[in-house]
Amino acid sequence: MTVDILSSIKGAKPSESVNQLFDVIRNAHPTNNNAANNVNINAVSVSDLREDVVVKSGKIEREIIKENFPNEKDGYLVVSKVIED
Amino acid sequence: MNSQIKEIHQQLVSKQITCTALVQEKLDLLKQNTHNTVNSLLEDSALEAAAKVDAKIANGEEIGLLEGIPFGIKDVYMVQGTYTTASSDLLKKYKSAYTATAIQKLLDAGAIPLVKENCDSFGHGSSSENTIFGAVKNALDETLVSGGSSGGSAVNVAKDYTVFSIGGDTGGSIRQPAGYNNIYGLKPTYGRISRYGIMAYASSTDCVGPLAKSIEDIRIVLNVMSGKDGKDQTTYASDEILENAITSVEGVKTVGYFKNFIESEAIDPIVKADFLAAIEKIKAKGIEVKELDFFKSDTLVSTYYTLAMAETASNLSRLDGTNYGNRIEDKNLKETYAVTRSENFSEETKRRVVGGNQVLSQGFSDAIYLKGLALRDQISENFEKDFEEVDIILSPVTPAAPPVIGDSLKDPLAMYLSDEYTVGFSLGQLPTLTVPQGTVTGLQITAAKRNEEQVLKFANFLKDTL
Repeated sequence: MTVDILSSIKGAKPSESVNQLFDVIRNAHPTNNNAANNVNINAVSVSDLREDVVVKSGKIEREIIKENFPNEKDGYLVVSKVIED
Repeated sequence: MNSQIKEIHQQLVSKQITCTALVQEKLDLLKQNTHNTVNSLLEDSALEAAAKVDAKIANGEEIGLLEGIPFGIKDVYMVQGTYTTASSDLLKKYKSAYTATAIQKLLDAGAIPLVKENCDSFGHGSSSENTIFGAVKNALDETLVSGGSSGGSAVNVAKDYTVFSIGGDTGGSIRQPAGYNNIYGLKPTYGRISRYGIMAYASSTDCVGPLAKSIEDIRIVLNVMSGKDGKDQTTYASDEILENAITSVEGVKTVGYFKNFIESEAIDPIVKADFLAAIEKIKAKGIEVKELDFFKSDTLVSTYYTLAMAETASNLSRLDGTNYGNRIEDKNLKETYAVTRSENFSEETKRRVVGGNQVLSQGFSDAIYLKGLALRDQISENFEKDFEEVDIILSPVTPAAPPVIGDSLKDPLAMYLSDEYTVGFSLGQLPTLTVPQGTVTGLQITAAKRNEEQVLKFANFLKDTL
């Protein structure tokens, strides 16, 4: 799949400047080619997971979400198109 | 210790000034300013909050240290009911439905937000020129860039339009504009401050942090914003940093610097000479200084941008005009997505999204993205070894003085490479502070993970030494 399709950006092409950065990585020789991510461990431990609870959004929050919706007709939020495929 | 926050607090408590007059004065300065720092002003809510603080003082009630202190917020943070544009066309009419945890903590402490601040769109840039609100002009020279991406925040602090501002730092976006405008700017350890409610750029290095004119103000604001947050499970609990813990340099015995940073072809000879002069002054105070080996600058920059682009491509995929944003209808759903994104993203944002999808795609993923992850591991391991030998790593913030407005946009590669001194510490997730001393764009002080106290301690030492 081409990058314009992958990115949902019409006519997008890889940039020469960005490709030069990627070439540096392509030519690099990490001592360990498999990222084990054993240094930056940011994942939460399973014993410390937050409670799985449903939090109802507040009235103002719901109103703003509706206000942000791009299209509204007769009190309904209008989606752009139906997914065809 | 010198602190704008404490000074204003004292003036409020002793009734030398009213909070309303203070807030009004700052709002007027922001309105009149010609540096393009403002995306939207929060005038009504700020004046309302100020009146409440004045009423409390008039009633003889005690107020907290941050109560009534005016501050600014980079326009990538959710603050319920305010426009949160990320300086982009796509979100120019988007309103936050909720408030970011870090900002909520400041609001709970009584600080008063005045302004959503101009920045590079979605944090994509190092000059605050990639914005629909006009390039942010440097606080010291309007012909120069402010730095980025938190350029509006840095200029507002430097010009005293805000007492402090909250920026976001993914690869240097707090530290570099702080350096370009001669103020303090802290990127804390990744996870010290919750990222809940900041618009995600690269989630594995995104950090929330303060910009201010004094070390003490950085300490105060950092303490308020820090802490574990169930809404961001990468956060960790941290202890408050006490004022008297950072007044003496005791505990800092050895300082290191990366030899290759100083021997880089890109470094301006004046920056190099000033940096080495600073090193000599530190040595003269009896602190041992060690030269350290580090990765080449192009490897650091390329590793950072490979990972950041991959993450931003994923994070920004949600921006398609379905539930919010400036939707542009077309013949079918896919075309609607594509036209909406093509018309509303800036060239720099498109470049990064496309680059990210490139490295994540089949054939590229092994050769580039996974290799980038392996390099980041090595960079982090290198830092771990360094901090067994030294207490602090000192480096310049940028290789040269700020460029003239317009130059960075012409040459994206040069802009990426100008981040060579900041991105490594982001990949290492280390606490790093820019201080306005040592070189024309300041110095960066870095310590081991979770050791912000050491960073602030050394900053105090440098303030008295350089």
